[in-house]
Amino acid sequence: MAGVISSKSEIKRIPLYIEGLDENMQGGVPEGHITLISGSAGTMKSSITFNVLYNESLRGKICVYLSLEQSYNSIIKQMINMNFDMSKVNLVIVKDLADLRNAIAKVKTPGAGALVMVDIGCIRKEIKDVKTADNKSWLNVIKNVVKKIKEEANCHLFCLDSLSALYVLSRFENPRIELFYLFEFLRDLEITSFLISESQPQSGRYSEFEIEEFLCDGIVYLRLTPFRRNVVREISVVKMRATACNNDIFSLEYKHDRFQALYGGQNPLL
Amino acid sequence: MGNITFAFKKLAKKRVGRLDKRWDFDAQSAISSAPFVADIDGDGKKEIIFGTKKGKLFVLSSDANIKWFYDSSETVDEVELMFLDVENVSSIEAPPNVADINQDGRHEVVFGTELGMVYLLDDKGKLIWKFKAGGPIRGQVLIYDLYQDNDMKVIFGCEDQKLYVLDSRGRLVWNFDAGSAIQSTPSILQKDQPCVVFGADDGSIFCVSKKGDMVWKFKTKGKVFAQPAIEKLFKDGRFYIIIGSNDHYLYALDDAGELAWEYKTNGAILAKACVTDINNDGKMEVVFGSCDNNIYALNASGDKLWSYETDFWIVSEPIVEDIDGDGKKEVIIGSYDHNIYVLDSEGSYVLDYVPGLSGVVQQAGHYSDIITQEPGKVAGKKIWQFKTDGVVVGCAYVPEGKSIIVNTKPGLVNEIVHKEE
Repeated sequence: MAGVISSKSEIKRIPLYIEGLDENMQGGVPEGHITLISGSAGTMKSSITFNVLYNESLRGKICVYLSLEQSYNSIIKQMINMNFDMSKVNLVIVKDLADLRNAIAKVKTPGAGALVMVDIGCIRKEIKDVKTADNKSWLNVIKNVVKKIKEEANCHLFCLDSLSALYVLSRFENPRIELFYLFEFLRDLEITSFLISESQPQSGRYSEFEIEEFLCDGIVYLRLTPFRRNVVREISVVKMRATACNNDIFSLEYKHDRFQALYGGQNPLL
Repeated sequence: MGNITFAFKKLAKKRVGRLDKRWDFDAQSAISSAPFVADIDGDGKKEIIFGTKKGKLFVLSSDANIKWFYDSSETVDEVELMFLDVENVSSIEAPPNVADINQDGRHEVVFGTELGMVYLLDDKGKLIWKFKAGGPIRGQVLIYDLYQDNDMKVIFGCEDQKLYVLDSRGRLVWNFDAGSAIQSTPSILQKDQPCVVFGADDGSIFCVSKKGDMVWKFKTKGKVFAQPAIEKLFKDGRFYIIIGSNDHYLYALDDAGELAWEYKTNGAILAKACVTDINNDGKMEVVFGSCDNNIYALNASGDKLWSYETDFWIVSEPIVEDIDGDGKKEVIIGSYDHNIYVLDSEGSYVLDYVPGLSGVVQQAGHYSDIITQEPGKVAGKKIWQFKTDGVVVGCAYVPEGKSIIVNTKPGLVNEIVHKEE
């Protein structure tokens, strides 16, 4: 049967570039999966996902980071502060839809990777008079941008930052149906997707409507845990289809210019 | 005893024959709606007209040859295109309509598109005019001489929340702001003056005068996609509006917009109901499909006569015609389960207990009511079924050949006919 694999060695994986975690999930996220990166504010959701796209673009992949809230400038500033060498990647910024064609031309070199940052905030400022009445239009913009880059430049990885901002922008009338079609759209594109999802601590939920948790292939959960006067960042893989993974909670640290997952299943503060 | 004899007579009814495919046609594009059947070029033969998701309007001869087609794809600004659903941007979502709009003695074809364009073509497929509305047009375009001045008006609802009325030259006469997107096809209610009745996405059913003023409004609890069926339900001479809503109800409103009755199903009602005398009893019946997978037949007072359950949603309008020529009408319906069903318009009489015996056994001492009432009920009865190659989005009847044209979502059009074996 076409498209059906015959052995697990055929499952290609994208590492999360988190030392100590990738080893505990057979090397990473299976290609083509849709993964929720869920957590509250300050848990480094964007940084972790950016790190994946940055490293994959260095390995020759075309990656698209689509930001709905934080400007490209702010994200880059944040990553440079974490000692990311942005001069190493072919960084292409899309801040005007009319420039999309030029942006795609810049990433078309065969074998060369690129990190395309699409700043929807900037695009919104550029376009004030284009059909903003239809609340689904911005979802169409996101889908059309990703599809175009996939079709013309073979985009491999996509990050949407964030689902929560998309809900504000698009005001879904029937989230169950509309999210189903969004996930199906990404699946049909055969693109590995990371969807950043704001979740409230202690809510027991990883997404706004919960349906995302059923539709996605994987959930990586990040949280801040206070202990006396210390706060520890923690990471766990809640769900990852087609992956034998360690679901323990790890401490997440960014040291020596790399992410590390430590003390899985143990209490680091004792 | 008379009741038992009646029941067995009902049970013994038999029909012969089968449904057979006469031809199929591959439109090479998905199709969203039913075909329209009309003799547009006056050659005495009916043509089959339908639109596709890719924006092509096809006119087929009765033997499935392409007479002509019109490509309604428009060049869209690159930036504007990014805001649209690219897959559907050119789609023709509703059936076209045919009439002699400009009174030149020949028929014209009119249709709307997802891009918000309305096109008027002559009987050879040449563009006469086009009009740009402010949003997608998802309902059928209605043609009616609204002012009774021999100038046909082109009437349609739009996602931009407006009902448009154009004159025969494609110029705007007026528009009515419904305050919510309009996806329903409008119909005409003939009171003292003709009025336009249509549904809107906020659940409203509007009646608007020929000058564009609201006459009345009725609120349902779901989006109204269906076209109103407007018929004289009773012998009181008054017109009634029969219309379904996404709130699962079928409503019957009088011509003043007052609720006459409502009937609850378990699914959204997306298509127009068929109001006609299905069983030759001199009274009107209402036949309609629902997304609870059932087709229902109600009497004029909204009481269920029978229902028949298919395996998936019914989103197309039923056809009530005598396709096997036995003098009795059949109910023909397409389902999302890929099948065309031909049902007995009178339903089938089903015994639900043996009178007397079951009453005695189950309700000793209290069976007098049971043995005196009719021992059974009428249920929907399938006569024939035909499996198509995809989800059925709409059907049309061709009277000459007593055949059914079936449009399926993947883009295959079939002509199906009854054959006696």
